[in-house]
Amino acid sequence: MSHHNEHSWLLKVRNLTKIYGEPNERSVELTGPEFGTNICPDTDSIVACAGVSFDLYPGEVLGIVGESGSGKSTVVKLLYFDIEKTLGSAWLRPYGDGKSNILEASGQQKRYIRNHLMGTVYQNPRDGLNFSFSSGGNIAEKLIMAGHMHVGNIRGRASYLLDKTEVPVRRMDDPPAAFSGGMQQRVQIAKAIANNPPLLFLDEVTTGLDVSVQARVLDLIRELQQELGVAMIVVSHDLSVIRMLTDRTLVMKHGRVVEAGLTDQILQDPQHAYTQLLVSSLL
Amino acid sequence: MNIVEVHQLTKTFELHILNGKRITALNGIELVIEEGEIIGLTGKSGSGKSSLMKCLYRTYLASSGEILYSSQSGVIDLVKARDHEVLALRRSEIRYCSQFLSVIPRVSAVDVVAEPLMRTERNRDLARARARQLLEVLGLPVELWDAYPVTFSGGEQQRINVARAIISRPRLLLIDEPTASLDARTKDVVIGLIRDLKQDGTSVLCISHDEYTLGKMADRRLHLSGGHITSGLTATI
Repeated sequence: MSHHNEHSWLLKVRNLTKIYGEPNERSVELTGPEFGTNICPDTDSIVACAGVSFDLYPGEVLGIVGESGSGKSTVVKLLYFDIEKTLGSAWLRPYGDGKSNILEASGQQKRYIRNHLMGTVYQNPRDGLNFSFSSGGNIAEKLIMAGHMHVGNIRGRASYLLDKTEVPVRRMDDPPAAFSGGMQQRVQIAKAIANNPPLLFLDEVTTGLDVSVQARVLDLIRELQQELGVAMIVVSHDLSVIRMLTDRTLVMKHGRVVEAGLTDQILQDPQHAYTQLLVSSLL
Repeated sequence: MNIVEVHQLTKTFELHILNGKRITALNGIELVIEEGEIIGLTGKSGSGKSSLMKCLYRTYLASSGEILYSSQSGVIDLVKARDHEVLALRRSEIRYCSQFLSVIPRVSAVDVVAEPLMRTERNRDLARARARQLLEVLGLPVELWDAYPVTFSGGEQQRINVARAIISRPRLLLIDEPTASLDARTKDVVIGLIRDLKQDGTSVLCISHDEYTLGKMADRRLHLSGGHITSGLTATI
């Protein structure tokens, strides 16, 4: 939070839209929560997300909550360039002083942005880690991509990060496949923060883990967030994860943001019918 | 100087899952809080005390009216302020302390208390040292400092909660039943800590049913009934 500057956004997103298939000009108009579907009745194209806009401030943690198929992961995948946008713009302050739409950047520039300014942790460790490398090697890969060249420094940094994420450093040369699920997630987190990015994406990172393992991973994320002051976008279907980690929340349904607000407001005074249903289902 | 001015504040809940049923919690509230003033807020359960507090903290979105807060960088209407502006104020100036500690798994008592200070203070050891001081003053046994508060008794959790609320010395403290489950001695300590904040200019809005606490602490009382402020009498201290 020490990097917090309340007057300048870190990431600005406007009208972010992803449609699969061959949409026509009515596809966005005819889908969304009021139609109860994200499939266009005319073209069968799928409006994964549409019209998503928000600002993220330095050191802030934004949650995106919604059920499967609501488009919450799509938003993060678009911003991390895992998939190509259909429409929309995003600006990242440390890239070209926030004046250039990163979604229109060249492939080479996108790689630069990913390697230097972003980190991501996926639900499935196989998406974020190379299982044929050692865990230390995975971190080294990220560091080399970010321009670190000195082998001794890289090894030192890798062991520092594994220690920080509570992975036994003596197991640095073991491949992730030899690790438990919780430990794989912690290696992914170590890799994601290796380049000290100002922005981190976390997509359902504790889904599928045992409750005690989940608490440990969440606690680690909280601690790292506070220590590094990194801004985060946390995608989860689980409101307790959202409650524990985030300052603000977007609620998504059928590809649209139906409500946005402070996380405690979303949980205690939800405005939209869908959010009220979601919150009333919370255990 | 007035730190808070509330005008015509109304809060109505619209429950879509109950066929759009509407419940009015606050109706035309007028309230002024001066700098360095402690206001005791009283009223029966359901009279709107917590709703008022939550509107001030923006946990509840007001339906109409304004809440003018004099921040260190100017006057801001908390009803209309943008989320990140509210977050910045929560970090630096406004604290809310609910009746119950919302426990964070696997975080020690010291760190739970130190956390608000860690958000503004880079030196984490300093924040922890300040947290230990507070826990000592509040009489929390030393062997509990590094334990996880999830297993603590009600009174122990309440002490953690109060310590967490005051550690960053906010300009505006919204505190709900701070002495409810405490013994007489600890009650006096909490009252002393809050009055100590007042000396530094902190304004406090305090919900309490405890006559002793109110008598010792409140400069003024406001009584809520049916979402209205029905009376405000000056305290006798």
